[in-house]
Amino acid sequence: MDLLNYLGIGFSVALQPVNLFYCFVGVFIGTLIGVLPGIGPVGAMSLLLPTTFKSTPEAAIIMLAGIYYGAMYGGSTTSILVNIPGEAASVVTCLDGYQMARQGRAGPALGIAAFGSFIAGTLSILGLMLLAPPLSRIAIQFGPPEYFTLMVLGLTILIYLAHGSMPKALIMAALGIVLGLIGLDSINARPRFTFERLELIDGVGLVPIVMGLFGISEVLVNLEQVIRRDIFETKIKGLLPSVKDWRESLGAMTRGSLLGFFLGILPGGGAVISSFISYAIEKRVSKHPEKFGKGAIEGVAGPEAANNAATGGAFIPLLTLGIPPNVVMAMLLGAFMIHGVQPGPLMMKQNPGIFWGVIASMYIGNIMLLVLNLPLIGMWVQVLKVPYKILFPLILLFCLIGVYSVSNAVFDIYIMILFGIVGYLMKKFDYEGAPLVLAFVLGPLMENNLRKSLIMSQGDFSIFFTRPLAAASLIIALFLLVSPIIPYLRKKREEIPKEEVT
Amino acid sequence: MKKKDILSSLFWLATGFGVCYGGYDLELGTLRDPGSGFMFFWVGVIMTGLSLAVLVKAIRMKPDQKGVGLLRGEVRWAKILSVLAALVLYAYVFTYLGFILSTVLLLLFLFKAVEPQKWSWAVMGAVISTLTAYGVFQLWLGSQLPRGFLG
Repeated sequence: MDLLNYLGIGFSVALQPVNLFYCFVGVFIGTLIGVLPGIGPVGAMSLLLPTTFKSTPEAAIIMLAGIYYGAMYGGSTTSILVNIPGEAASVVTCLDGYQMARQGRAGPALGIAAFGSFIAGTLSILGLMLLAPPLSRIAIQFGPPEYFTLMVLGLTILIYLAHGSMPKALIMAALGIVLGLIGLDSINARPRFTFERLELIDGVGLVPIVMGLFGISEVLVNLEQVIRRDIFETKIKGLLPSVKDWRESLGAMTRGSLLGFFLGILPGGGAVISSFISYAIEKRVSKHPEKFGKGAIEGVAGPEAANNAATGGAFIPLLTLGIPPNVVMAMLLGAFMIHGVQPGPLMMKQNPGIFWGVIASMYIGNIMLLVLNLPLIGMWVQVLKVPYKILFPLILLFCLIGVYSVSNAVFDIYIMILFGIVGYLMKKFDYEGAPLVLAFVLGPLMENNLRKSLIMSQGDFSIFFTRPLAAASLIIALFLLVSPIIPYLRKKREEIPKEEVT
Repeated sequence: MKKKDILSSLFWLATGFGVCYGGYDLELGTLRDPGSGFMFFWVGVIMTGLSLAVLVKAIRMKPDQKGVGLLRGEVRWAKILSVLAALVLYAYVFTYLGFILSTVLLLLFLFKAVEPQKWSWAVMGAVISTLTAYGVFQLWLGSQLPRGFLG
């Protein structure tokens, strides 16, 4: 009964005209950037973060969350029509989606992707709604050692799932922690690594770093080569899947939703991994696996459901523990903090309007996406035709204004350009940005909880091993860190599909 | 790959040392009461160790094949450097020239010099994009964009 009451509060917040507007803007822009290769949800969220400063915290989070799940929807459109995944999570959709389009079945492919995403998105919100309250109640009992070790575990899983070399990903995480700690010491207000620059007293901003690493550097990489996009010219007709299509897809959607939701809760690339695993499962359970890769509709429905369900799951650690499981959620945590809201176990009690408002807005956002995606597919195809030479100055313009609007400081523009160069070089030298950003956000929280734990235990490190959850987290983290040394486990790690965040 | 990893690991090695030194300088404190530099120092130690691991692995790698390197291939360096220079210059003159003038000039440069397009389109694109951005950020969202010497 309580749940229904809370959901009532949520809908009363989400249905306010201003929040509906922000929700619409979020899902619209999300779909747009999902369609456009070269800019992903993280870049778009950091670009639009400044536009939310004048709004209420709930409107801001509703819009930013909309960008995230909207991008997952949009990503499938390019996979099906152009064979270019807009997002890493839509890579698998290319396999059968594009084949369906080539066979003149682009309509049903797009339709089932949209419906699959809608159903999975809705199911995952239901899961989030049911799981978040009990988890929050448990999380209230966590102390600094649990928080510290959970963050170590989260960061380790992300590093484990990073592309290529693990030591390189760990170096990036270490750099992220150092950058995150720049500024005044939260305990004794002593300036650290500020190089006597007044601008660094409050630390380096999240927005200039993210925009540099994911916005500017992406433009630089794309400028290297002449980008050519061949659009598969086809008439899209009959978006509504047939009864046969539905019969073939329903099982795939349900399995994909469950898989995506539970994998989404784990740190790292829930959306990407779940879409790949879902494809593998569908191929295995199918009565005609030979059709996969040649236009099997289950190969579109399953992964699309999985990647959308994962977005709902990813909210659980953020909203109940205050620990972001991936870079997108780290951006959302940054947005919460800018608006003076601390996500975590107490959020549901202290800010029920925001907590349930955001959840309710996702139901509405999913309906908006369904309405948006089906009739507007023609428009998205046109958007794909915008040449990059027109697009890149506009992306740069948005980055520049966006970063300046956050703090009204030209210094931040320089920081963004610097991290644009750093991000570009990182790509050249095969280093990944995601561990850096997550560590940047978690760094101060980790330090705080580590110092508190040591003060609590009077300098005794056994505090991390005598408390069950802390010990379990550390043991899993340690296992993941040493696993690449064991050849069998290293091979297993290399087989896991990896997240690519832009 | 070998050269890239050696170069990058040496850079991180130096950075790791720098962070360790900075942390030590900030005071490590004691385990009972960790100081401001405690976390920096240990993260620096980890960074140094990892850089050494990458370095050792890179040294053991087979030599790179000819023609594979960072500065070779068909990378359009001039374009990348000109965009970066334009962005730095933009930041430098931003408050003096003001948002509108500096942004129109920047966009004109990006539309015309980096990826050449017709003058009419470049001018129109630069002016319309700037004014739209001004309308959204300054007038609607109330950002404080600089007016410059004209304002």
